Amino acid sequence: MTERPVDEYLEAEVQRLLTERAEVAEQGITVIRRQHTLLLCGEVESVQRRDEILRLVAEQFPGLSVQSDIGVTRTHPPTEAEDLL
Amino acid sequence: MIRVAAVGDVHLDADVVGRFRPALERVPDHADVLLLAGDLTRHGTVSEAWCVAKEFGDLAVPVIAVLGNHDYHCNEVPAVVQVLESAGIAVLEGTGVVVETTGGKLGVAGVKGFGGGFAGRCATEFGEPEMKAFVHTTRESADRLAAALDALDSPVRVALSHYAPVPDTLVGEPPEIYPFLGSYLLGQAIDSVPTTLAIHGHAHAGTERGTTPGGVRVRNVAHPVIKHAYSVYHLHGEST
Ligand SMILES: [Fe+2]
Ligand SMILES: [Fe+2]
Repeated sequence: MTERPVDEYLEAEVQRLLTERAEVAEQGITVIRRQHTLLLCGEVESVQRRDEILRLVAEQFPGLSVQSDIGVTRTHPPTEAEDLL
Repeated sequence: MIRVAAVGDVHLDADVVGRFRPALERVPDHADVLLLAGDLTRHGTVSEAWCVAKEFGDLAVPVIAVLGNHDYHCNEVPAVVQVLESAGIAVLEGTGVVVETTGGKLGVAGVKGFGGGFAGRCATEFGEPEMKAFVHTTRESADRLAAALDALDSPVRVALSHYAPVPDTLVGEPPEIYPFLGSYLLGQAIDSVPTTLAIHGHAHAGTERGTTPGGVRVRNVAHPVIKHAYSVYHLHGEST
C-alpha cells in the first residue's frame, strides 16, 4: 500500500470506519490530525474495545502513524450527589 | 427528598458485563430510582439486550430506561424491549411511569428523541422528503414527550431522553454536529409542562449541566461525561 498523506479525507475515513464497522461501532472517538500522525481521543467501555480500535485502524491503514489517548471510562459509584434545590 | 440515579451510553456487550455491577449493587444506598438514558447496547441486538438485563436487572430500586440510536441499529427494537422488560426494566417511548418513593411520588416520561438542532440554526420541514421526514420524526417525538409529561399524575416530573433538549450540555462536542445530537423541540416540550429535571445522554464529549430556556435543569449523564457508574440528583417537592 502506498503511503497516504494525513489529510482531511483520511481523517473522515477513519472517523467513519470507527462508527460504521460493527466490531467497533464507536461514535465517541475524536480523530485529530497532527503533522504526520493521527491522534485518537475519547473514552470506551472496555480495554478490548480500545485494542480493537487500534487493531482495526492499523489493519485498514498500514503504515499510518497513530497515537492513541483513548481511556476506559471508570465505573465506581459517585462520591457525591447533586442537590437540585 | 427524592433521589434519582442516572446514567446513559453504557453501550453494553459481553465485554462490559460485570464492570458496573458492584456500583449498581449500591444504588439503593444512594437513590430511589435508576434512570438509563439510552444507548444501552452497542448495536441493539437481542444478545446485547441480555447483557443489559443481566447488568441492570434485579436491583432493589425501579429501573426506567429509554433506548438510544445504538439500540436501533440492528432493527430489533421490539425484541430488545421485550428482553429488558423481562428483567424488570421499564422502557419508555412516549410513555411515562409514576413510582412511589419514601420522598413522595416521582413521575418519569421518556422518549428516545431525535436531532434537528437548536433554535435559530435548526433543520426545518422543508424541501426534500428525506429532510421533511427527519424533522417530522423529531417533532413527533417532542409531541409525544410533552403529552407523556402532561399525563404524569405526580407533582415531581422528570423528562428522560437520549437526544439532548438544549445545546448547553453539548459543549465540548464539535458545534458542526449539534444538529445530530439533539433538538430544541425536546426542550420546548419539557418547558410546556412543569418539569423538575431533564436527563439525557448521547453526547459523549458534552457537558453534564445545562438548563432549558424555561429554567428546567438539564443533565447529560452519558457515561463518558459523568465518568462514574451513575450520577445522583436530589429533587425537592414542588416543580417550578
Ligand atoms: Fe452513545
Ligand atoms: Fe447515542
